[in-house]
Amino acid sequence: MSENKQEKLIDLLIKKAVSGLDEAEQHELDALDSDTASEFRSLEMTAAAINVAGIAVDEPLPAHLYTKIAANAEQFVAAAEMESSPWSPAKPRHQEVEREGISWFGWLGWAAAAAACIALALNLWITRTPQNNQANIKPPTAIPKVLTLGEQREEMMRSAIGTVKANWTAGNVKEMNQISGDVVWSDEKQAGYMRFKGLPKNDGTKETYQLWIFDKTQDKATPIDGGTFDVTSDGEVVIPINAKLKAKGPEMFAITIEKPGGVVVSKREKLAAIAKVENLSS
Amino acid sequence: MTEAILQRIANDDRNAVKDCLDKYGGLVWSLARKMLRNSNEAEDAVQEIFIDIWKNADRFDESKASEITFVAMIARRRLIDKIRHSTRRISADSLEDILLEPSTRADKKMQTGLEAEQAAEAMRNLRPEQQQVLNLSIVQGMSHQEIADTLRMPLGTVKTHARRGILEVREHLGLGGKQISREVQL
Repeated sequence: MSENKQEKLIDLLIKKAVSGLDEAEQHELDALDSDTASEFRSLEMTAAAINVAGIAVDEPLPAHLYTKIAANAEQFVAAAEMESSPWSPAKPRHQEVEREGISWFGWLGWAAAAAACIALALNLWITRTPQNNQANIKPPTAIPKVLTLGEQREEMMRSAIGTVKANWTAGNVKEMNQISGDVVWSDEKQAGYMRFKGLPKNDGTKETYQLWIFDKTQDKATPIDGGTFDVTSDGEVVIPINAKLKAKGPEMFAITIEKPGGVVVSKREKLAAIAKVENLSS
Repeated sequence: MTEAILQRIANDDRNAVKDCLDKYGGLVWSLARKMLRNSNEAEDAVQEIFIDIWKNADRFDESKASEITFVAMIARRRLIDKIRHSTRRISADSLEDILLEPSTRADKKMQTGLEAEQAAEAMRNLRPEQQQVLNLSIVQGMSHQEIADTLRMPLGTVKTHARRGILEVREHLGLGGKQISREVQL
C-alpha cells in the first residue's frame, strides 16, 4: 500500500473511531480495506479511554429512566433464560433460522425467547416517548403466549393495520434462481417476517445473508439494515426482521450476501433476492 | 478476585444485569447527555445502550480492556450513530461552557479503569490545542467541522491535532503497535 493510501486509511479509521463515517467515507474505507479490524479496535478503545477520562459522572441516571431500563432488564433476563432452557437450541451467534418442521418442543423454547425479545423491543419502543405516563407502564409479569414464527407472522397479518407484503424474486446470484416466498412488514408494529423457499444454506463462518429495507423515508443509497441471518437447513424458513431504524413505508426489500456479521454499507455485489411491495392490506 | 459484571451476565447470572445498570447507569447517562445534548434523545439512547451492553457481554475480555472502557466503547458506538442521524446543533450559549471544560477530570466520582487513567496522563502531556480538539471531538461529540468553526481553526489543522493527539494517547496506552501507524511515520 502506498504511503498516501496508508495516510488516508489511518485518517478514516480515526474518524470512524471518534465520530463515525458518512456513506462516502465508508465506501472509501471499504475500497482501501486491508485487515483493519485490530487497528480500528485499538483506536476505538483509545477514544473510549479518553472519553472516560474526560467525563464527569456528576448526575445519576434519572429515576424514571432507571425504572424503564430495569423493566427492560427483567425482559432481557427472561429472554436469556428461555434461550438457555433445555427446550431451546444453542444460543445463536446472531439470527439462526429454524425450520417449520422441527419438533414442537424445539419451537417452544425458541418462540418463547423470541416472544420475550419482541416484548422487550416493544417495551423499549413504547416507553421511549417522554410524554408517556409512567403510571401506565407495567413491567412484564409473564411471557406472552408461545407462538411459532409462522404463527406470529399470521397473527401480525391479522392484527396489524397497513401491513405491506411483497414476493421474493431471484437476484443476481445464478445458483439462487429458485427462490420464492414473501415478506410482510407492519409499520404499526415495527415488525415483520420473511418466508423463503429455495434460499440455500450458508456457512456462517464465511458469509451471511443480510436484509435491506428500502423505505420511502430513506435515500435509496442508504437502505435500512434489516439484520443478518443464516440458513442452516433445507425447506421453508421464516425469519423475523430486525430493522435497525424505524421503517415508515418500505417500498422494496433486498437480501445481499455479506461477510460474517454483516456490513454497514453493502456493495450489493451478491444480491440473493428482491421483493418489491405490491399491496397494502387494510 | 471478583468476577466482572459483564462476565457474570455472560454466565447467565440474572442479578448481574441489574448490577450493570447500578454500576454504569451514571456513566452511560453522562456520556449520552454530553454527546447528544438533548435529554429525550439521551434517554432513548441509554435504553438502547444497555441492551447493547447486555447482548455483547460475552464479548468482553478483561485481558484486552477494563470493563468500564468496554462499556464506554459500546455506548460510544450507539451515540456516534445517533449523532450521525440527528440534527443536533450545539447552541451558542453552551459553547462557552464546553470550551471551558477541562480535558480530564480530577473531580471524578468513580473508578475509571486503567486505560482511562493512562489516557488522562497521556492527555496532560499533549499540546494544549491537541487536548482541546480531542476533548471537543471525543468527549463533547463535536464534528471536526464544528470544532473548526468554534475555534476558528482551519479544518486541516483540526484534523492534524486530532490525529496526532489520538495516536500519541494510543501509543501511551500500549495499543499502537500495528503496522499501519508505524509505516505512516516512516
